[in-house]
Amino acid sequence: MRRIVLRRLAQIIPLILGVIVLNFALIHLAPGSLFDVMTSEQQVTDPAMLDQLRHTYGVDQPVTVQLFKYIWSVMHLDLGYSYRQNAPVLDVIMQQLPATVILMLAAMAIALLVGLTAGVVASVKVNTIWDNLISLGAVFFFAAPSFWIGIMMTVLFSVKLGWFPVGGMRKIGTDYGALRDALDVMYHLVLPATALGLFYAATYARVMRASMLEVFRLDFVRTARAKGLSGGRVILAHVMRNALLPIVTLLGLQLGTMLGGSVVIEAVFSWPGIGSLLFDSVMSRNYPMVLGVLVLGSLLVAVSNATVDLVYLRLDPRIRAR
Amino acid sequence: MSRLTRRDFLMTTAAAGLAASFAGSAGAATAAPKKGGTLLASWGGFEPQALFVPAGGGSSPYFTATKVHERLFRLTSELKFEPELALEIKPAADFRSYTIKLRDNVKWHDGKPFTADDVVYNAMEYWKPISGGVSLNALQGAEAVDPLTVVLKFSAPVPEFFLKSVLAGKAGLVIAKHIYAGSNIITNPINNTPVGTGPYKVKEWVRGSHVEFLRNDNYWAPGLPYVDRLVIRWWRDPASRSAAFEAGQLDIATFNPIPPPEITRLTAGGKFIAETKGYSNSAWVTTVEFNQRREIFKKREVRQALMQAIDRDFIADTVFFGRAHPSVGAIASSNTIFFTKDVQAYPFDVKKAGAMLDAAGYPIKSGSRFKLSLVSAGWFEENIKIGQYVKQAFEDLSIDVELTVPDRATSLKRIYTDYDYDVAISNNSGGIELIPTTTQYYTTDGIVKGAAFRNATGYSNPKMDDIVAKMTVETDEAKRIELAHAFDSLAATDIPILPMVDLEPVTIARSDVRNHSTAADFMGDSWSGVWLDR
Repeated sequence: MRRIVLRRLAQIIPLILGVIVLNFALIHLAPGSLFDVMTSEQQVTDPAMLDQLRHTYGVDQPVTVQLFKYIWSVMHLDLGYSYRQNAPVLDVIMQQLPATVILMLAAMAIALLVGLTAGVVASVKVNTIWDNLISLGAVFFFAAPSFWIGIMMTVLFSVKLGWFPVGGMRKIGTDYGALRDALDVMYHLVLPATALGLFYAATYARVMRASMLEVFRLDFVRTARAKGLSGGRVILAHVMRNALLPIVTLLGLQLGTMLGGSVVIEAVFSWPGIGSLLFDSVMSRNYPMVLGVLVLGSLLVAVSNATVDLVYLRLDPRIRAR
Repeated sequence: MSRLTRRDFLMTTAAAGLAASFAGSAGAATAAPKKGGTLLASWGGFEPQALFVPAGGGSSPYFTATKVHERLFRLTSELKFEPELALEIKPAADFRSYTIKLRDNVKWHDGKPFTADDVVYNAMEYWKPISGGVSLNALQGAEAVDPLTVVLKFSAPVPEFFLKSVLAGKAGLVIAKHIYAGSNIITNPINNTPVGTGPYKVKEWVRGSHVEFLRNDNYWAPGLPYVDRLVIRWWRDPASRSAAFEAGQLDIATFNPIPPPEITRLTAGGKFIAETKGYSNSAWVTTVEFNQRREIFKKREVRQALMQAIDRDFIADTVFFGRAHPSVGAIASSNTIFFTKDVQAYPFDVKKAGAMLDAAGYPIKSGSRFKLSLVSAGWFEENIKIGQYVKQAFEDLSIDVELTVPDRATSLKRIYTDYDYDVAISNNSGGIELIPTTTQYYTTDGIVKGAAFRNATGYSNPKMDDIVAKMTVETDEAKRIELAHAFDSLAATDIPILPMVDLEPVTIARSDVRNHSTAADFMGDSWSGVWLDR
């Protein structure tokens, strides 16, 4: 247990170094620079002003110097300063990260709930109309672009029925107490989390179904039934628990991609998360901001992978023995 | 929480929509303005990088900053200058100095008085070095004669219309000396919570979502602003904006906020209007640029031929759904002061274009005349389609076209820094005043490698430079208009770069939003007069 955690933590440092160097190189290899974008946006054309700005943004130094400076500051837990936002990188990210994390967790919860239920039902009622309907739904939600699902949900539930807000995270211009505020956020969360969650739910449903069917054929299930356990207990306590391992693997992998996968959903529902910030930062070659998001993202992925390892231990005692 | 609205959606296919949508005029204030309410606003672009970007920063920060920072003058949609923080401006007999009288009893949001010292600080520390750039090259000094009088001194005669345009334009925002003095204006963190004299104060900016402004109760204009709260919110997606309109969560949005096909549907019911006023001082065009560092495009006949090969009606009708029209010359047709029809026209004529290319020495040899690289700047959705269309149009002339549509940063670099293109499709927005925004695409001193949105074609013509130099110091308005026509005529004939279509941006607003679109650049107006009729 402790060994796993320590090993994972030790892996984080080279991982983050790699993330920094690779992405720094990538963004500098892309044509155009933050400086070009900033000065063109600001319509700065006076050569003297251009030189002054070059110096202010620190782009008058060689690229390698810029890179080492950046790594040095990250070692001091300082993610640098974004001249585009006129604010420290960490401040800007911290303003928008909570929204993304909330959306991610809610979408994950929906995906697990819907996906596992659907997968279990499909495997128990295998080759019936239920199974076919669930498979059809899974294919549909996996194939349909999430922005389209999002817009369609908005048109139906917000515009036509007026049940949900069309976007945003809170009702604007209100000063609720903490409890009211939490409820308000949850209310705004329903559509985006569902739109994002259904895509992942489709994968979980398919994997869960296959995994359940595989476990059903194993000997210990027959033993459990022979012991006279009820059908429900066999399914939940014996088959499901053993079928969960691939889902946990998927979950760990997808926690990382969700950070990026929410860009589209955040755009559709104007959810004030990290997605739009990352997109804008890449488009404007704002490398301190891009690297800041990626560094924090890789931390998140590392931590979530360590968590997945620990969940494995809980689920399958055999892993501990290795 | 939510109102359970039950609406009937009668999807009428009758095309009565457009006629009805322009019937309700936006400026028509029928009754006494009502006070109060929350105005929910947006625009057809994304969130700004900072609420106020001193050097400009594009449309989005300009939209938010102008609700807080005011200017000395504003330009109305009738193209009249109205006093804002200044009461009047008078040129000296030689037009080398101007005396500005300021409004009394104006307070910054923090309660400190606005005085002549602020204007002197702005003129010398902000407008001249940062926001105004070349347009204030001639500004030599500013002096506070008394707390409400400032004299600006210039090294050369400065036309009155020109100076007023600068002061009322994007570069003329007035910032507080006591807040900025001694700091780097561009990187001052206060730019994310700006403090100005305007009708609205910043309450809170929730990054990624919206910024909330509250009414400035000590605003200098009695009774203004009418609304208690202004919320500017951003969506990254046009379809989401139209959903927000329909769900009652958006009142007004400027600069093409929703997909063009949706405009007809939304305005059909009379609940929303589409307003085209309020864009004349920020006239957007789509341009085609010919790189004259290449042998082929040095020939004027080639440039003229290629322009004739482009069906600009098609671009306006198909790509822009009719919300654009073919340009005439180098000056936007919405520029009622300087525009002239009297320039060389380029009607769509493939046969003639082919004949001109033959005559210029580029006949079809083994199936092709020559190769060219076409770069269409990918910052607007429409440019992707225009690029594809122009590629086909040139291929109809048997020219091999290699089309690239790079993203924003790459486009900037290829067109304006590396000059790595043969023909480029780009955009710009110019004000009524042509100098320097419009003219620097044509003058020799407009060539600055690495500086975007100016002469990237390498065109250099002493005659052109001379006309613009004269215009810069000509103080007689009538003579200035003549010079502008001469400029336009030469630009249209030489065609180093020329607008293809003038965009007709629209503002979408609920019909109970009153008194909007009253300025020549409404997005950058303070919106103190807007009120809600509910």
